[in-house]
Amino acid sequence: MSSLVGVAPLLLLVVAGLSIMVVDAFTRERTELALVTAASLFVAAAVAGVLLVSDGVPASPELVTRYIAVDRLGLFFDVVICAGAGLSALLAGGYLREHGFERGEFYVLLIFTTFGAMVLARAVDLVSIFLGLETMSLGAYALVAYRRTSARSVEGAVKYFLLGSFAAAILLFGSALLYGATGHTGLADIHRSVASGEADAALTIFALVMLVVGLAFKVGAVPFHMWVPDAYEGAPTPVTTFMSVGVKAAAVAVLVRVLVGAFGDPSTMGLYTGWTPVIVLLAVVTMVYGNLAAIVQSSVKRMLAYSSIAHAGYILVGLAAAYQVGSFAVSAVLYYTAAYTVSNVLALGSLILMGSKGKEAVSYDDLAGAGRRHPMAAFPFAVGVLSLLGMPPTAGFFGKYYVFSAAVQAGGPLVWLAVLGVLASAVGAYYYLKVIVYLFMREPEEDAPIAVPMQSGYVVVALVVAGYYVVKMGVTPGRYMDWAISAASSFIS
Amino acid sequence: MNTQILSWLLVVPAFSALVILLVPRQWENAIRRFSIMAMLLELVLSLRLVFADYSTAAYHFVEKVVWVESFGISYKLGVDGVSLWLVILTTALSPIALYASWGSVTTRIKEYAFSFLLLELGMLGAFLALDLFLFYVFWELMLVPMYLIIGVWGGKDRVYAAVKFFVYTMVGSLLMLVAILYVVTSFEALAGHYTFDLQELSSLVLPELPQYLCFAAFALAFAIKVPMFPFHTWLPDAHVQAPTGGSVILAAVLLKLGIYGFIRFAMPLFPVASQALGPALAALGVVGIIYGAYTAWVQRDLKKLIAYSSVSHMGFILLGLFAMNRTGISGAILQMINHGVSTGALFLLVGVIYDRRHTRMLDDFGGLAKVMPWYTLFFVIITMSSIGLPGTNGFIGEFMALAGAFFSRTPIGFGSSWFVMTLLATTGVIFAAVYMLHAVLRMFWGKLENEKNAALSDITRRESLAIIPLIAMVFWIGLYPKFFLDKMNPTVDSFVTDFTVRYYEGRRTSEPRLVDFDELKQKLEAAGGLAMTAIEQEAPR
Repeated sequence: MSSLVGVAPLLLLVVAGLSIMVVDAFTRERTELALVTAASLFVAAAVAGVLLVSDGVPASPELVTRYIAVDRLGLFFDVVICAGAGLSALLAGGYLREHGFERGEFYVLLIFTTFGAMVLARAVDLVSIFLGLETMSLGAYALVAYRRTSARSVEGAVKYFLLGSFAAAILLFGSALLYGATGHTGLADIHRSVASGEADAALTIFALVMLVVGLAFKVGAVPFHMWVPDAYEGAPTPVTTFMSVGVKAAAVAVLVRVLVGAFGDPSTMGLYTGWTPVIVLLAVVTMVYGNLAAIVQSSVKRMLAYSSIAHAGYILVGLAAAYQVGSFAVSAVLYYTAAYTVSNVLALGSLILMGSKGKEAVSYDDLAGAGRRHPMAAFPFAVGVLSLLGMPPTAGFFGKYYVFSAAVQAGGPLVWLAVLGVLASAVGAYYYLKVIVYLFMREPEEDAPIAVPMQSGYVVVALVVAGYYVVKMGVTPGRYMDWAISAASSFIS
Repeated sequence: MNTQILSWLLVVPAFSALVILLVPRQWENAIRRFSIMAMLLELVLSLRLVFADYSTAAYHFVEKVVWVESFGISYKLGVDGVSLWLVILTTALSPIALYASWGSVTTRIKEYAFSFLLLELGMLGAFLALDLFLFYVFWELMLVPMYLIIGVWGGKDRVYAAVKFFVYTMVGSLLMLVAILYVVTSFEALAGHYTFDLQELSSLVLPELPQYLCFAAFALAFAIKVPMFPFHTWLPDAHVQAPTGGSVILAAVLLKLGIYGFIRFAMPLFPVASQALGPALAALGVVGIIYGAYTAWVQRDLKKLIAYSSVSHMGFILLGLFAMNRTGISGAILQMINHGVSTGALFLLVGVIYDRRHTRMLDDFGGLAKVMPWYTLFFVIITMSSIGLPGTNGFIGEFMALAGAFFSRTPIGFGSSWFVMTLLATTGVIFAAVYMLHAVLRMFWGKLENEKNAALSDITRRESLAIIPLIAMVFWIGLYPKFFLDKMNPTVDSFVTDFTVRYYEGRRTSEPRLVDFDELKQKLEAAGGLAMTAIEQEAPR
């Protein structure tokens, strides 16, 4: 039994999800479900964290490891995904009650979606990739549509569902081709087959492109981003938070596993022939488009959706470098994902805090003058956007520094990718600062509806935790970096 | 405490800012007094730095603590003859600027004091940091408080000015970040470990092309901050919109960080590129001198006039700096202090009149000498300092910078010569007299035509308190510059020698490599001494 310790966070979540489902069916008072959910997610994160820093993860049965990796990389993503989901649950505890649609199934869905994301992040077999992806996605579709009386919410969900299904189909097609080319479904076997040259090259490349397209969808990379703004805007804000941190992190994890794990053999591909050019291209268009499109938004939530596209671009910069600098670049990607998680929770959480029943804060105008009226609510918002912008001494700055240094280390054309990346992120100054401008430097128009911050302990706790880590990961990044490095080097040397 | 005095210089503002964050906002007077007291304490602490031995170029009061081990990032501080006076300038001007602010800033006292202390922390950190990463962190850290000071407490178009300031500065500094990463990565490839320590990185010699690219990235960041023509357009906007205290700090200290960055980082790390591109930057400095002077002449808004005069004055500093000899560089450093003192004082004086009349337009004034005699006296003294009258500080600095440029032998190319550049720059001195005296004439002499001016009260004791120390500095530096120059000269000498040695090593390099410069210098010294003018041998005669 002890050999299952390595997947304990997953098992814990299953138990928690099932129990909450049962409890929800038999109780009328479901007010503290948010707390229970968040607590179970944090416990899962803590278990994964303890395993991550402990000396060795106990070996798991071969039946498990064939499909689900039990390594530090998986544990690192467990921590990030569970923490992101836990914080989202806390935000939901404030948000759903304030806006009057709290129901038990939300939390159950959240837990199972998180479970799917964790499976995806650990998947080392084409079969488990697809299973994890679908488990995660189905839950996410339902969560986006959760506010079923809102046309926006439903529109976003339908769009997300249709495009997501396409993406899943493309991914499945790619998997089938890859199986055809190599005769294996396990990523390690595929790696061996590709490296030894047994696999049919043309078929493999075609399959790889399909896989990348399918996964780029989930990451929200341009040009596969069409669903992102609508889904993010339509979804209840805690769901937006979860999608931008948990779902994205899982997709990044599986991209790392597929690209670096299965196709990362330097002996078979060079700088110009491997998957690097594809990822570079994706990174370029994603960063440029995401940042430029974010400028013109009038809704803060939509702006944050485009900003999440832009951040996917920065993550791809780190990934592009992974081919040459290996574990260093992967650790940069890991660190960036964690930093982005806390920063985005802080920004979106503050946006949640800014609104109350019937007066949800959505547009910039809703924020006008809030810094003067409610400085305590505006301050975390400012810190959150500054971290997203990458100002020191915040987590966002160090994350950005880390991925760009990976790109510079890869050398050659990737140095120019880093240059483009910093220029694109300078564009970000414009729209992130707009939040601060409206909070602190504008006054609301006469007789415009004014958003009033809600009173919610849950949201405050989430903001305090996220804010703490935004500062902590920026001021003393050493420890978190070491974790990321140990996670990355367990996977690739 | 003596050994950690630099950390104390950073702890005091950081801690005070934290205290202010925690007290209730209603305690306005307490916040005002406390923030001033904290800055005065800071000034007293910083004066300790003057009493170190600056007869060698070594860094003093060095502290080093490992910050992020796997990246070789350290918290390393130190002060030498170059940064000494800039640190004192910062600690001296900050309380003055804040003190002046308390006359005009009446809203959100708590946030203002918080921003100002944070700003002081950022500026001091940037001057003291000897680790590139730490420097970058402080460099960016200054940005946010200044952005808030302009954007929240500024004039009518404050948001536009604040965003422009932020975006300009950020574009430059982000490219610098990539260049820093490139340097560190190249170092790691050779030495096998990461470091951001400036002294360790100094042993790295890069081949020409990477030097050019990295220097360009650094130079862009610093040139925007200086601001060098044609990157100066954010400055007039920022100055006009910023509150008085913000303008004072912006002109007196923030602009100096650009020049300081050249001296401390860009030139030692990329000597070949700075040698080749330096004259071009000096030429842009000359363009800035003349352009700034002309533009200042036609301004009707007093603050804009002073802002453009800053562009002009910073041109002299660039010229002296890239002359690459002892006189020019010492002059540039001294002129940084002078510009801080005199332009800071000018902005204070503009604030005084603006608080009374709520206008800064020259046309609204005239004949003020009759109603405000003391104010006029102060204004004229500072004007003299600004245009470089002998006996004031401006004369010494500008003279040294121009003399340095005149005797410079750095090859220029394009058929141009330092003589022509110096000549053109000298006309800038004349123009400075024209536009400043023009403004003085319009404001203080003539008939008292506007009735609103008739009842103006003279400068108060409170306002004088902020100005008088600066006037004392004007004459101290003007009459006895030796005290200031003596502290910086050994550092400047060694800077020039190091630069020469580095330059020749760089010229001989086609691959990145590590050179032990201390050893190399000793060898050269033993072989017959280091000619400080070695580069001049290459000059086309």
